[in-house]
Amino acid sequence: MGKLGKKARKFAKKHLQSVLKNRRKTKVFFKRKSSSKGQQDTVENQVGKTTIPNGRDPEGEDLKNISLDELFTEDDSDVVEDASDSDGFLSEDQEFAKFLASYKKGPEMFQGEEMDSDEDETSNHSMRLVDEDSSIMSQGKVLTHSVINSLCQLIKDEHNKSALKTLLNGYRAACWYGTDSIGVPDNASCQRIQNSGTFCSILMFMLREADNIFRGLLKIPSSSCKKESILELKNTSKWKSLKPLIKSYLRSTLFFLNQVTDSEILAFSLSRLRASIIFFAAFPSLLKRLMKATVHLWVTGEGVLSSYSFLIIQDVAVVFSSECFGICLIKTYKSYISRSKVVDFVHTKHMQFLRNSFIELCSLDVHKSCAKALLSIQQLANILKQGLRKKKESLKKICSWQYANCIDLWVMFISANICDYDLHHVFYVIIQLINGVACLFPGPRYFPLRLKCVQWLNHLSSSSGIFIPVAALVLDVLEYKMGKEGGKPGKAINFSSVLKLPKHWLKSRNFQEECVFSAVEQLSVHFAQWSYHISFPELSTIPLIRLRRFHEIATTESLRRVVKRLIDQVEQNVEFVQKKRDDLAFSPKDHQSVESFLQLEKGSLNAPFTQYYKSVMQKATSRNLDTNGIKSSMECKNLKRKRGRLPSKMLNGGVNR
Amino acid sequence: MGKKQRKKIVLPPELPPEVSEDEIEVSDEDLQFVNENRDYAGFVSNLDTKSITRHVSRVADVKEDALEFLYEKRLRKKSLEKESEQKGLEVDRVDALPVKTLDGKLVYRTVPKISQHSENVTGGDQDIGDNEADGVDKSLVKLTKPEKRAKLKRMKKEAKKQAKEVENEEVQQTPQAVVLAEVEKELTALEANERKKYKLAELGTALLTDPESNIKSLKEMLQISKDGDHAIAVLGLKSLLAVFKDIIPGYRIRLPTEKEQEMVVSKVVKKMRYYESTLLSTYKGYLQRLIALEQQASFQLVAIRCICTLLDSVPHFNYRESLLAAVIKNISSADDVVRKLCCATVKSLFINEGKHGGEAIVEAVQLIAEHVKVYDCQLHPDSIEVFMSLSFDEDIGRTEMSKADNKFKNKKNKKRKNSEEPSQENDKKKSRKELMSKTRDEVLTPETVNADFKAASLTQDIMERRRMQTETLSAVFQTFFRILKHAMQSIAARSEGISSSSAGASGGHPLLAPCLNGIGKFSHLIDLDFMGDLISYLRKLSGGGSSSDGSSENFLKQLTVSERLRCCIVAFKVMRNNLDALNVDLQDFFVQLYSIILEYRPGRDQGEVLAEALKIMLCDDRQHDMQRAAAFIKRLATFSLCFGSAESMAALVTVKHLLQKNFKCRNLLENDAGGGSVSGPIAKYQPYASDPNLSGALASVLWELNLLSKHYHPTVSTLASTISMLSTAQNQVYHSNVSPQQAFMELSLEHEPFDLKVDIEKPNHKRRRGSGSSVANSSGTNPGITDWTDEDTVRKRLSEHFSLIHDISENKRLRGELDRTTWSLQLYEQYKKQKKTKQNGSKPLKMK
Repeated sequence: MGKLGKKARKFAKKHLQSVLKNRRKTKVFFKRKSSSKGQQDTVENQVGKTTIPNGRDPEGEDLKNISLDELFTEDDSDVVEDASDSDGFLSEDQEFAKFLASYKKGPEMFQGEEMDSDEDETSNHSMRLVDEDSSIMSQGKVLTHSVINSLCQLIKDEHNKSALKTLLNGYRAACWYGTDSIGVPDNASCQRIQNSGTFCSILMFMLREADNIFRGLLKIPSSSCKKESILELKNTSKWKSLKPLIKSYLRSTLFFLNQVTDSEILAFSLSRLRASIIFFAAFPSLLKRLMKATVHLWVTGEGVLSSYSFLIIQDVAVVFSSECFGICLIKTYKSYISRSKVVDFVHTKHMQFLRNSFIELCSLDVHKSCAKALLSIQQLANILKQGLRKKKESLKKICSWQYANCIDLWVMFISANICDYDLHHVFYVIIQLINGVACLFPGPRYFPLRLKCVQWLNHLSSSSGIFIPVAALVLDVLEYKMGKEGGKPGKAINFSSVLKLPKHWLKSRNFQEECVFSAVEQLSVHFAQWSYHISFPELSTIPLIRLRRFHEIATTESLRRVVKRLIDQVEQNVEFVQKKRDDLAFSPKDHQSVESFLQLEKGSLNAPFTQYYKSVMQKATSRNLDTNGIKSSMECKNLKRKRGRLPSKMLNGGVNR
Repeated sequence: MGKKQRKKIVLPPELPPEVSEDEIEVSDEDLQFVNENRDYAGFVSNLDTKSITRHVSRVADVKEDALEFLYEKRLRKKSLEKESEQKGLEVDRVDALPVKTLDGKLVYRTVPKISQHSENVTGGDQDIGDNEADGVDKSLVKLTKPEKRAKLKRMKKEAKKQAKEVENEEVQQTPQAVVLAEVEKELTALEANERKKYKLAELGTALLTDPESNIKSLKEMLQISKDGDHAIAVLGLKSLLAVFKDIIPGYRIRLPTEKEQEMVVSKVVKKMRYYESTLLSTYKGYLQRLIALEQQASFQLVAIRCICTLLDSVPHFNYRESLLAAVIKNISSADDVVRKLCCATVKSLFINEGKHGGEAIVEAVQLIAEHVKVYDCQLHPDSIEVFMSLSFDEDIGRTEMSKADNKFKNKKNKKRKNSEEPSQENDKKKSRKELMSKTRDEVLTPETVNADFKAASLTQDIMERRRMQTETLSAVFQTFFRILKHAMQSIAARSEGISSSSAGASGGHPLLAPCLNGIGKFSHLIDLDFMGDLISYLRKLSGGGSSSDGSSENFLKQLTVSERLRCCIVAFKVMRNNLDALNVDLQDFFVQLYSIILEYRPGRDQGEVLAEALKIMLCDDRQHDMQRAAAFIKRLATFSLCFGSAESMAALVTVKHLLQKNFKCRNLLENDAGGGSVSGPIAKYQPYASDPNLSGALASVLWELNLLSKHYHPTVSTLASTISMLSTAQNQVYHSNVSPQQAFMELSLEHEPFDLKVDIEKPNHKRRRGSGSSVANSSGTNPGITDWTDEDTVRKRLSEHFSLIHDISENKRLRGELDRTTWSLQLYEQYKKQKKTKQNGSKPLKMK
């Protein structure tokens, strides 16, 4: 039977490639990546180092076709790897088989590091593998519940290695269960795991306990998460004996990650995998695989799953900061950017989460991420330059979510780190960049984009304490066609979920309201930041004039009221500052005294304008929730239908701007 | 001579029949002759180059030539008759090859001379090839070395030019000559077109080589250009253009009156008259055709291009008026290309006055003025922009002028003039120099009689030129004032509440901006009587009509901020140019500027204009009004808090300038309790005041600078800090400042290099955070993930997962088994079949 099966397999491998491929495709999973070849590792490392010259385009002329996510080159030749994946799998199995054989005879037979390189004699090995496998199978042919339980007990109590080995074998079978990939006799695995109980208990036990067991065997304290502890052990015999076991466990788990679609299982396995992250130090190729899998889950997953994936990415970046940080950054950046091509509402929240976590990742090593930021911003700037020359293609590119999200990403990064690091060169460029984007699209259809720009500028300004004038940008939004009143109510518009409005929205009353509200919000943010500054009266002079004019012209009472309130508050604050100013004895050139002006009051946060600002912000969030609420409930329904589970609770928690 | 003989041997077989035919037939200037002659010329040119290169390459030949040359010279001295003969010969030789004089004239060919030359040859019966060879030698004899070189060059050029045509012609000529009539009928349309193209090329080249004798073929070309086929017609127009451009003489053709025609004239004159009349009539036909075609959309561009080129190159020639009319008609065309072409032509007309003596300018300007009038100022700005390239020479008839002007201008005027003289003087000198050099150039060519005449009669011309200039000026200003008035009227219409559709004001004032620029440029030429009106117009316009009641939004839409700013700028320019002659208060313009600053919107209005206004009105202002300066300083500082870095920079530069100039205003930098000693009549600062003098700005403090020094743009922030450091104590020397315009340009986004310093200097840490701690902190973003407790659900899921996969795999296995069974069954069937056939097959075998 075994022989025949092998022949059939060979036949299939030779003649039915397309079928195999199809099967692989129909699996829900993304393409797996093997990196079992040592050469490939070095190549990847080199790529990691050389991305900077590759990604840069000093001329900026042939940028036309570069899309945003192609900034950092990376070799993921998935097709090739897919083919080699099966080989790697085979070799692993041979290795395992060999190991089993050697284990019986003695530890001296073990082949050390070569295991990954001897893949060429596949046919030869596969034959042996089958033989070995069947021999093992005859030994523990059917893993029943009781057997597993006893094995677990054995391992727990006595740290019995052979039991562990058997269990790992079973674990592997469980992980590969149902996948009829080449090299695994599926009937064998089917036979060995007969019912779901066994399946569950093996997986659960292994996932739960494997880390502890290995740590116990290697005498690594469970709290330790430094890769040095593994690297130190590398030459000890204990390590050598355990290494294949660990590798088998990690590999199986990784494979399992790719097999499973259920978010709970994924999250659980990820959380367990995270515990044993240090073991990856010994297996760089597996680490790559881990990265790929987790980044994918981070981007596509939802809620908890995404956060768990991110935790792993973060841990990898921290633990292997020297080798892996750059790759982590690039991979996450790329997947973030490619993810931001499509936008819907649920997505925006997820994107915010992704952005925040990415910034967290960046903040781990500001040096390195600053270099990446520079490259990326430079690319953005080059596209903008072309846009300023009115090239249609680049204009289109600029008014896209990818571009906006990219700016958003770096704005957040800069504002998160500008207090602690000197990022001024990037800071200046990104401000000019945002200004340029705002100037490029003056039309009312682009108001959402413009408001986003203002938001960014406000954010940058408030985080850095540097003055960025935004009043003119905001006031243009406010003053748009206020003569025409009373359009149709129109659909609810949420500016945050679009960049460019369809034309027919421009006439709706909602659009006007949205314009006024957003403008008032942004203006109050701007004013609130400088409400204690000595120049506040002058800062508000021109905006006040224009606000008053708007108030005179506007006829819609609700809008007038909002604007009137802002005017009153600003005037009040002007008076307040002016009064304080009149008592001063120092001159404008006395910068230090100017700096200390009203600092006390600022600390107390009780000034009327601050109060007003807070109320405006509250209203803004509630307003956003209102407009979003409709959509989000709809989305949730959809989700329920699809997934049967509601992740929004987690999501809301996950997003804190 | 041996060589000659060799040539005789080589050449005869090719040539004799054709050439003899040529000699027989071609005694008249008809089409056939032209064709044959073309061929002949081409042939000779081929032959000639060979022989000449042979001659030139060999030293012995040259020597021989020189000897011969000397000999011939002596001979020539002896007999006049012979000389004349040889001259004829020489001419013939030369004309056989296309010779172009410096002015592009090719005139030497005459047919009688050819016959003469052939008679002249001793061996009359001999083939032309010999003739040719002889001729070559003789002509070589006649030529001096530089001439030879020139000739060689010319021939080579010609050969190159003709190479293509010649090839084609030679292939086609013979069949054409033989069976032209029949073939023509059979030709398909395409071939006919090809033929026409060749024909065009032939005719064109012939005309270029020898216009006088081939002048008739112009008509033929014109005929071709009227062809129904679009491509052919376009080609015809273009080739005619090239020909006309080349052969039109440098003077205006005056057709002889009847009386003159009756007079008996020499052959040469007759010929000349014929030539001129043909040229003129064809040119007329051509122009009519062009002007007709210009209406058709498909031909418009070509026609306009031809018209423009002609007007540009031969503005002195007849029918300029119709050309000009056509150009001006299209000067504000909606088509960008056409408009640009026309504008460029008109501009070049204005600049190159020497080409046509200035009459064209007058005509053009008058036509434009009429055009503007007809279209009620609703034209493209470009059509007025061309006036900017006009230049007026004040020197003309200076003596008379000064006499006349003395009545109006007082002594101070002279002083002012002197102060402004240098720049103008330079201009004048330059233009005069250009003119001189141009005329000189024309003098060099013998044909340009007109220019020659002009140069001679320059003194007489002055009055005429002055008259023309006056006419031009009056037309220009008539246009300008018409535009201004139009703008005024539309404003007035608005303010009086007349329906907005009146006066066609709906489209705004496209011509106002170039018009204002023009007034600014030529303001020194405006008659002083108009000045008062002009200024009052400008004042009203700069108010944009909003002075009466500023609240209504419609008013602001009347004139844009940029246009109002331009009005202010122009008013200042005018005043500056005529400062002393006028007694107008410019205070109103300051008031306007003061309020316009508040109305400025970066996206909508042109920042450059604002910067220019700041420069001209504030930086260059010589008056020192402290109140006003302080008000502007304060307002500009406030202004710079609200707008982009470029605008801020322009404003701040002005502020700095004002502060440096008015050192008393530096009190604004000090926080004097109670306003200090300098505070004006208004004790408290009124930020919203509309009059700078009533703002009480002196009582304020420039706190803006503190916020500006926090500006994100490093240039702005440093400038703000510098300004705040200006001290009141010492009166600093003026630094050479950048102008507001410069500052604006430098900081505008278009000039932003977006260069990141790629040498990524390690970001300096203000505070280094331990990476470990940040990790610990960072888990905050991932809420509620402490440990997994919900193992039961996982277990459940796992079992679900298992059962799913189990089912799938079971299914797969079963299906596989099924497949295998069916397959084996099939195999068995096949086996059975095969067996059967084998049995069947084997049976007959056995039978055998």
